Amino acid sequence: MTTQSETTPRHQLAMVFDLNKCTGCQTCSVACKVLWTRDEGAEYQWWCMANTLPGKGTPKDWEQMGGGYRNGDPALGHLPTRDEFGGGWEYNYEEVYFRGKGRTVHLQPKGDAPKWGPNWDEDEGAGEYPNSYFFYLPRLCNHCTHPACVEACPRGAMFKRDEDGIVLRNEDRCRGYRFCMEACPYKKIYFNHLRKVSQHCMFCFPRLEKGVAPACARQCPGRMLFVGYLDDPNGSIHKLVKEWEVALPLHAEFGTGPNVFYVPPLAPPRLNPDGSFDESTPRIPTEYLEYLFGPKVGQALDTLTSEMEKKRRGEPSELIDMLIVYRWQELFGPFTQDPAEIVWK
Amino acid sequence: MRAKRVDVESKVLLDPTASQWQDVPSEAAAMGPTPAKSQNSRYAQLWAQERPYGKLGSLSVRSAHNGKDIAFLLEWADPTQNLDFLDGKSPDGAGILFTLKGDAPLATMGSESRPVNAWFWRADLAEAAENLTASGLGTLERAGNGQIAAGSKWDGGTWRVVLTRPLAAGGQAEHTVQLEAGKTTKVAFAVWDGDLAERAGLKSVSQRWLDLELEA
Repeated sequence: MTTQSETTPRHQLAMVFDLNKCTGCQTCSVACKVLWTRDEGAEYQWWCMANTLPGKGTPKDWEQMGGGYRNGDPALGHLPTRDEFGGGWEYNYEEVYFRGKGRTVHLQPKGDAPKWGPNWDEDEGAGEYPNSYFFYLPRLCNHCTHPACVEACPRGAMFKRDEDGIVLRNEDRCRGYRFCMEACPYKKIYFNHLRKVSQHCMFCFPRLEKGVAPACARQCPGRMLFVGYLDDPNGSIHKLVKEWEVALPLHAEFGTGPNVFYVPPLAPPRLNPDGSFDESTPRIPTEYLEYLFGPKVGQALDTLTSEMEKKRRGEPSELIDMLIVYRWQELFGPFTQDPAEIVWK
Repeated sequence: MRAKRVDVESKVLLDPTASQWQDVPSEAAAMGPTPAKSQNSRYAQLWAQERPYGKLGSLSVRSAHNGKDIAFLLEWADPTQNLDFLDGKSPDGAGILFTLKGDAPLATMGSESRPVNAWFWRADLAEAAENLTASGLGTLERAGNGQIAAGSKWDGGTWRVVLTRPLAAGGQAEHTVQLEAGKTTKVAFAVWDGDLAERAGLKSVSQRWLDLELEA
């Protein structure tokens, strides 16, 4: 077979998203889109997208689309349709702005009314008022340790880079077979219908080469997106994932070993009908968080809670200081170069 | 199989509905699915084991040349016309395979020492057919300057696709099969049913090489 056999990369780049700080502002999504997916054929692609959970996200109901591994073997997946991704709409700017119909016609997508989009169920969440709940979950390629996409491509067009473990593709070798799209259990690979190749987040590797952090991370106004080497014992990523164990993988049962981790969301207490707090059960059901982040989520939330209490009592907490990010540059590991100050030779 | 010498203009041969094709005898090439084991990744092998593909039993082939260009008219049953990738399916496709050094293993799309040359049509490519070369599974590459033209029509359950090329092709001999009146060469065929999401090695293929004799 020509597919890449699995060797451990020398280092592994990783990200941590602190869901306690994500406001769903989509600055990350737009930073990526403006940089990478503006060309024809990529209009509907959102390599990074913050969806609302609980929710079906994009592509619609991706969590049920299969792929990944089961018991060490590849598992068949569904190839998402263009409609299941949704989005990429063409708007009627011409008639609204330039043809004098601004007072009679809404600005709207041309053609049939859309039925799904990249963030269709934003802010819907779940539960019943006053105990409804939701949180935001930005998702992008996880640059997995056992990438199902790399294994699936019969042409070896997908590969995992040895120097930092990011998963890239060779668009010259790609013939648009889309086994990668079926195999990825996170459904973060898109198909460019114009160029007939698959496309996905490539960790802004040209920026990394200049010491600049990925666009999503650097633009995040919430200071919640950490970037660094998972194997650097002095870095935040290693501490949050391996030492404090507050940053957890999403759907680890898919078997691909994702390298994007999430600090699970705390939530305000539930309310009794008389308005008093109901602290007998968490607002966000633990089973739901376990479904997403695995059995260690309860422990992670407890760690967060007790460290926050320490801070409140005036005691030091390395963890909370790390998550507050007093100094913005601390988010980026070694990638602190300001792109505006690069001297281009 | 014989490529009949005809006195017909190339641009007429390019039309799959041209009445002149009726004078060219057709041959039925037996087709069947590629083996699941020959898919070039564990994922694709599993796909081939679990999902239906390779259902075409027979492909009708007519071949004609006018001394300048050679044309193949492929006709096969396909109840649905698939033109794009939008629904998680693929466009329909067809291909003709030639050997570049006399013989080559068909099951592996050639080998390093015995490469093959493929003329590839897909319904979303319309008239722009591709000239490809391969020397083993997963090694398919565009081979440039094939000068292959395609004409296609789907009509009520049947695809009719013509692939034509000058007999003496430009491009190096290592990438592009040289065809000559009076000579015999090996040929094989492939068909992709986009409605089953067929692509890559998931296809119907002729089970063995056929000998194609170009009438002098």
